[in-house]
This record gives sequence, structure tokens and C-alpha cells, in this order.
Amino acid sequence: MSLLRRAIAYGLAVAVAATLGTVASARASTAVVLNSDDDTLSVVSGDSYREISRVHIGRGPHHLIVSPDGRTLIVAMSGSNELVLIDRKTGVESQRIEASDPYQLGFSPDGKWFVTASIRLDHIDIYDAKTFQLVHRLPAATMPSHIAFARDSTTAFVTLQGTGSLIAIDLASGKVNWTVPVGPTPAGIITRASGTLLVGVMGSDYIAEVDPHDGSLIRKIHTGNGAHNFLASPDGKTLYVSNRVAGTISVLNADTLEVTATLIAPGGPDDMALSPDGRELWATARWRASIDVIELASGALKAMVPVGRSPHGIFVY
Amino acid sequence: MFEALQRLIEQIQGTVFETAVQPLLFRLGLMDWAEDSFDGIEFALYGALAVAVAYVVCRPLELWRPVECWDDRHAVRTDIVYTLIHRIGIVPAVLFVILTPIGTMIDGYLRFRGYIPPEIEQLVTPLYDHPFATFMVYMAVLDLGEYWRHRLQHRLPWWWALHSLHHDQRQMTLWSDDRNHILDDVLAVVWTGTIAMLIDVPPGEYPLVLIGFRLIESLSHTNVRLGFGAHGSALLVGPQYHRIHHSIAHAEPPFDRPRGCNFAVILPIWDVIFGTWRRIDEFPQTGVAALDGPAVRCGYLAHQVEGFRRLGAVLMHACNRRSPGFAAAFPARSTPSPG
Repeated sequence: MSLLRRAIAYGLAVAVAATLGTVASARASTAVVLNSDDDTLSVVSGDSYREISRVHIGRGPHHLIVSPDGRTLIVAMSGSNELVLIDRKTGVESQRIEASDPYQLGFSPDGKWFVTASIRLDHIDIYDAKTFQLVHRLPAATMPSHIAFARDSTTAFVTLQGTGSLIAIDLASGKVNWTVPVGPTPAGIITRASGTLLVGVMGSDYIAEVDPHDGSLIRKIHTGNGAHNFLASPDGKTLYVSNRVAGTISVLNADTLEVTATLIAPGGPDDMALSPDGRELWATARWRASIDVIELASGALKAMVPVGRSPHGIFVY
Repeated sequence: MFEALQRLIEQIQGTVFETAVQPLLFRLGLMDWAEDSFDGIEFALYGALAVAVAYVVCRPLELWRPVECWDDRHAVRTDIVYTLIHRIGIVPAVLFVILTPIGTMIDGYLRFRGYIPPEIEQLVTPLYDHPFATFMVYMAVLDLGEYWRHRLQHRLPWWWALHSLHHDQRQMTLWSDDRNHILDDVLAVVWTGTIAMLIDVPPGEYPLVLIGFRLIESLSHTNVRLGFGAHGSALLVGPQYHRIHHSIAHAEPPFDRPRGCNFAVILPIWDVIFGTWRRIDEFPQTGVAALDGPAVRCGYLAHQVEGFRRLGAVLMHACNRRSPGFAAAFPARSTPSPG
């Protein structure tokens, strides 16, 4: 990064810090939301359920994750072909790393590999997670979307929305282990404690449990139309599934996969996050430019917080 | 006010998508088109708003000081059809569905060979902190691209065969901006898409500003006796400036020389830089001298067929110079009527 670029980055860092840092000190519950059509990052207060600020962050922000050491938020900017690293404690932008159309992103459980999926340009990139050096770039037809990892960190699993399939990639060699059909327009994917995979089948009304060894279908669990994405509770006992078309979020027992409740979440619920006290579920409502805040004890929709256009990734802390 | 308007459009967009489009996509097994369809609704809503704004601003001007008055406005109705199907998104949607996979394939091919398109912000780093300024720079670059596309539309005979559909309107009004042949639209998408691929796509966070640009394009075709003066006409394309470009006296081969002028779409500075700027205190008659009658005053589909006929004739002539093709496409050059 040039000195001038560093200076510019510092300017943005100050802006982000002024919002994230200040709010973080005021109250523990704060949400960071990526508005993918606005190219902005919103900061939402968990006290007032209002957007406190909105800053321009770059083009096409979609998903974000926390680094394995918990110190950094990493934002995937598909439009501007970069990863934006933000210090989680201070809110200061620390680095921008060139990447090819990163849409979804994830670290392998051992922290060795970092993987991004390019849903628009049909490829998957595997990086050395320590250096962010590209190790493998694989074509993936078509629309590689969400990413999960084998518990032993040997394999990445990526849903292919365009072809209704799931691909398994050996991370060390970059070779494809298998590709199997999994259902129409698969999106979210998560690895269970048992090691099996759950895939949200957005073109239908179920999630599919898949054997990670060969991709064979184990069973289907009905959740709701447009089953899209997953969130596991920190204690591992509960799974949440957003159903985009139905406008609901299914609550599942993580052991039995039995649906225990269905929460109303209008506006095309997408990514989800739990408040630090575990009492609220926050979900981005893509089609209504807002955030659904649901009180888990009562199941009531507590607030709909207006943010920018097409809110996608969310992180609450 | 703008924020409230944008919020209202977002609400309508979300409601239309959730209640009508998404259920349909789900039933048809097309959920992988969800995001594109959602964006398409936004395009249509802002397109409709752009049409409404253009009508509210430009139509009173046409009633106030028209350059020409016509008893029969049949030809204008065809331009209204052109405007509606273009700006509300039918033609753009079809082109998007057809051309996006091709663009993605090329972009993906380049990406696999290590090419990541540079952003203008990387070249001019202070722009990182000024997204609106960045947006305006992108619009200026695209406008420069449009200037040169327009020059080629007039320079190349086969392209002129298509572009002549835009120029053959003798009743030029606020509706005439979208009067283009479908193949010309395809070329426009490819042209702009290529530029976008080279400099990366411009930011999309200012949809209301885009309506302002569309208003300038509608205004420049408006049938009004209005100019922006010596200084204004060097800053922004206006009705008189663009009417001179549409002059029936200028639309003769080789079209962009020696009399062709004022090719700019938004910013006349490109005409100044490249020597095609002309300012005269006239409001000339518009049209193409060689073209009149049913080939010009017809409905949308007949006009599109006429475009294919002109293109075919010009291509025949290119293959065989003794073929009367070009003359068949542009049969006579009548003396232009005084403007």
C-alpha cells in the first residue's frame, strides 16, 4: 500500500472508528451491517434500535466474518475486488487486500486456509490464511455461494447456486473431490458437530443433510420456502434457518434437527446474528432495506430498523 | 426530500418483489435470479420516475416555446413507445439476460489470467474519501465513451444504417432520446460494458443522480426554442445544442464530417476538445433528408424492421460496390427545408 493510500485508508479508519468505537463504549450491543447496493456500512444501536451512522466502505460489500484470533472483522467487497480488514476493538480500518470478486468468505477451523467464493465470476479462491497469498483458484460452475469446512480442515464445501449442486475441494491440492446435485438453488451451508453438512435449499422449502465424504443425501428437513442461511447458537444447541421466501426463521434443535419454533421475519431474511446476551436475533431483511430484531423469548418482532439498500452481512457485538 | 423519495422507492421495490416477483421466481425454479430481479425492479421504478420527471419538466417547455408545431403527432407516439419499453426496462432486461453471461465469461477468463480491473480510485487515490466525486468521475469517463460511440455511429456506414433510426425523426420531442434500433442498443451495452470492465463498474449508490442525467438527455431532444447561451452550451448539452446535431442538413454522408457536429451526450467539453463543437443561433429542422414517409412515420415494430432493411442494404453494398444497396437504404437526398 502506498503512503498516500495509507493516508486515505487512515481517513476512512477515523470515520469508522468514530462510529464503531464510540458506540462500542456506550453499550455492548451494536450491529454492523453491510448495505450491498449502497456500498456502505451501517452501525445500529442495540439500545435505540436506530441506525447511528452510515459510512461509505467501497463497492459491493456482502459478507463479513471475524478472523480466527477474534481481533479483526474482514469484509468481502465483491465490487471493488478487495478485503477490508477492520480492527474489531477500535473500529479502525487496518488493511485492504486485493482479492478477485470476494462475495462469501471463511477460514478453515485450524486457521490455515482462507477461502472466498465469487458468485458472479464462477470461481473459488484458496488463500494461505496467514499471508493472504493466493494458493489455488478453481473454476466453479456456476454461482459459488456459501462456504463450509470439514472439521479436520482438509476440505471446503461450497454451494453452487446456478447448477443446484455442492462441491467438495481438497484445500491442500485444490482438487475437486466430488460434485453432487443437492437441490434447486442451494445457498447457506454449515458443518454440524457430527461432521455432516446442512445445506439451505433456497429453490425449495427444506434444508438437506449431506454426508461430507461422498455428498450423499442423508435426509431433508422442512423449514419454509426459500430456506437460505444458517446460524448456530454459541452453545451449539440451537440452529436458526432463514427462509427468504416465507419470511420466517425456523428454530431447530441442533441435535435432532427438529423444528421447535417458527419466527416471523419479514423482508427476505438473510444473514443472522445473535445479540451478545443471546436474547435477540437480528436478521438482515434484504428486500426492505432494514434489520429485523426478534425477541427470542416471546418470538415477537421487536423492531425493524431502516438501514441502507439491500442489507446483507451482519455482525452484532 | 430526496432521502424520503428514495425510501419510498425502496418500499415499493420491496413490496413488488416480495408479493409478486419472488413467489413467481420460486414457483418457476428461478431463485438464482432473485437478486438480479430485485435490482431490475429498482431499475424499472427509477426509469418510471425518470420518465415522469422528464415529462413534468420538458412538456411545459414544449408547450411554452415550441420550435415546431404539428397537427399530426402520430410519429411522436412511436417515440413514446420507445421511451416506455426502454426506460421501464423491457429492452434493458432482455439485453441483460442475453449479454450478462457473455460479459461474465470474458471477465472470468481475464480474472483467471490474473487481470483484476483497476478502479479509478486506485489511480486517483484522494477519491477514496469522496464517493460522490468518484461517481461523477465515472460518469464523465462513460460520457467520453458515449461521445466516441456516437462519433462512430455517424462515421461507419453500417452503424449509421442503424443510428439513422434515431435521426430520421422529423418531429423530435422529449420522447425521442430512446428511439434506437435494438441492435444499436446491443452495441451500446457491449460498448459501455467493455469500458466498465476496463475501469471497473461505476458505483451504484446514486440512483437519483442518474435520473438527473436522463433528464438532460430528454431535455436535449425537447422541442423547445431554448439554448444555454455561449457559456452554458459549453458546460451542458441543451435543446438547441443537440438540435443542431440533429439538423437535417447535417445528416448526409459521411455524416460526421465535414458538417457533423455536437456529438456530446452530456458534456460538450468533448466536442470542444475534439473539434466538433459548433454554436449557431438557429433551431434547424431535424431528420434525415433521404428518409421520409412510411419508413419514418411508422410504429415501433415496423421501424425496427426498417432498421434491419437499411443495415442489410448497406452490408450488401459493402460486399458489392456496384450493388445499389446503400442508395436503397438512403434513396434520395432532398433539399432540406429551412429550419
